[in-house]
Amino acid sequence: MKKYIIVWWKLVSATSAIALAARFSAIMFTVGKIVRLGMFLVFLYVIMGKAKTLVGFSQDQIILFFLTFNFVDTLVQMLLREVYRFRGYIVNGTFDGFLTKPISPLFRALFGGGDILDMPMVLIMFLLIAALCIFKIHPSLEGVVLYGLLLVNSFLMAMAFHIFVVGLAIRTTEVDSAIMMYRDITSLGRMPVDIYKEPLRSIITFVIPVGIMMTFPVKFLYGLLNWQSFVLACGLSALFLVLSVVFWRNALRYYTSASS
Amino acid sequence: MQTYILIAKSVWDQKFAYRLNFILWRVRNVIQFLATYYLWFSVVPVNGSIAGYSQHMMLTYVLGTLLVSAFTLTTALGDVGPEIQNGDLSNSLIRPLNYFMYWMAKDAGDKAANLFFSVIEIALIILLLRPPFYWQTNPWYLLASVICILLAIVMNFLINMILGFIAFWSPEIWAPRFLTMIIIQFLGGSLFPLDIFPKIMVQIFQVLPFQYLVYFPLKVYLGQIPLMQILIGFVTMIVWIGIMWISCQMIWRKGLYVYSAEGR
Repeated sequence: MKKYIIVWWKLVSATSAIALAARFSAIMFTVGKIVRLGMFLVFLYVIMGKAKTLVGFSQDQIILFFLTFNFVDTLVQMLLREVYRFRGYIVNGTFDGFLTKPISPLFRALFGGGDILDMPMVLIMFLLIAALCIFKIHPSLEGVVLYGLLLVNSFLMAMAFHIFVVGLAIRTTEVDSAIMMYRDITSLGRMPVDIYKEPLRSIITFVIPVGIMMTFPVKFLYGLLNWQSFVLACGLSALFLVLSVVFWRNALRYYTSASS
Repeated sequence: MQTYILIAKSVWDQKFAYRLNFILWRVRNVIQFLATYYLWFSVVPVNGSIAGYSQHMMLTYVLGTLLVSAFTLTTALGDVGPEIQNGDLSNSLIRPLNYFMYWMAKDAGDKAANLFFSVIEIALIILLLRPPFYWQTNPWYLLASVICILLAIVMNFLINMILGFIAFWSPEIWAPRFLTMIIIQFLGGSLFPLDIFPKIMVQIFQVLPFQYLVYFPLKVYLGQIPLMQILIGFVTMIVWIGIMWISCQMIWRKGLYVYSAEGR
């Protein structure tokens, strides 16, 4: 475990140095992301100020759904950014090097290069969520604990999707469309999935579990779901994780090292 | 002219050569649309209104953004900057082509392909979701919205050209484009109508050129802008186009002085 932490730290340090070498771009990207978050929040305040409730949730509650989605989404992007570069490693044969190293190639494919530029956004989101909970929502301790646990569960589920994507990259050399499709589908979780009509709502709750990833944690915080839902969420994420690893291992058998 | 038509056709053919990528890109657009559509469907009550928008007006606006964006916001000009950066601009400079016309033709091919798919998408959405849609029957409003869209296409072309020309001076071309696209997405009105905001914010938006890319053409289609204000809008758009055109030409000329075909 210690070895993996050291390797991860070294890889993140290297990719951070590259990202920060272009300072102007780094600042512009960060400003862009803050502007986007700010504009969405202003938009939500304005429409929720006019509508008062949305599918039974108040202004503050809806904003917490939105912030939770952004927190999970940005955290996943920050830690699993290497997946976006994985196609290149397959196409130019760099992946051969991953296979010869004494660390798991899957670990290298997933965590090989975190994006430090997302760090400020993760911190901002965390602070906004904390402030909203402390000053407006006043959740129970049990709610906070379940919310935290389900955020970890959401991350694991997102990781499972990313493992499918890197497996797909080995089989088809396709990453970009698959990962962007994943991101667009998860973006349906910006708002509680209750706003969508059937059959879309069931699809994004159980088939592509956006609802479980993004909506469940906040609903637990509000005390709206029971323990069966908690078991369902954890069970589904464990199932996705196992299936994704099986898919990855199967995909590895098809790697031909054709480009090296 | 025949040459430019062939260039546009080649972009069209290219889109269909990489069909899966292009179809997935359009599917992504539909998913993004669904998020906005259902948000407004839930926010605006069936028999009520929000900020002066009834549900069918709002959903027409949201559906309209899919079509108008295919006209105005899709662009092939993301490649202008990389072309300058890797020295491929030299190829364009030695050809007997007008550089601006060359990219206009490429842009037209790109828009035609996007438009083709967005019409199919809208037809499918109307068929499947059966949204309450507002059909504009006044021919003057229809004509005015078509003129708005044409002017908006020119505006977006010039904005993207200027962004691409940053590559003459800086290798960091994606960050300014990223920031500009975010601003256009919000202040252009492709996610929501801008007049839901407080009056002071709407006045600020009116000074900027972005609202003319999506919001203004759609408001004209919905018949929510008096004819006199539509005319003022046209004049403002033409003034913006003039300013952008002059800026674009100046930046292009100055850029060519510093262009060193680096990378060739």
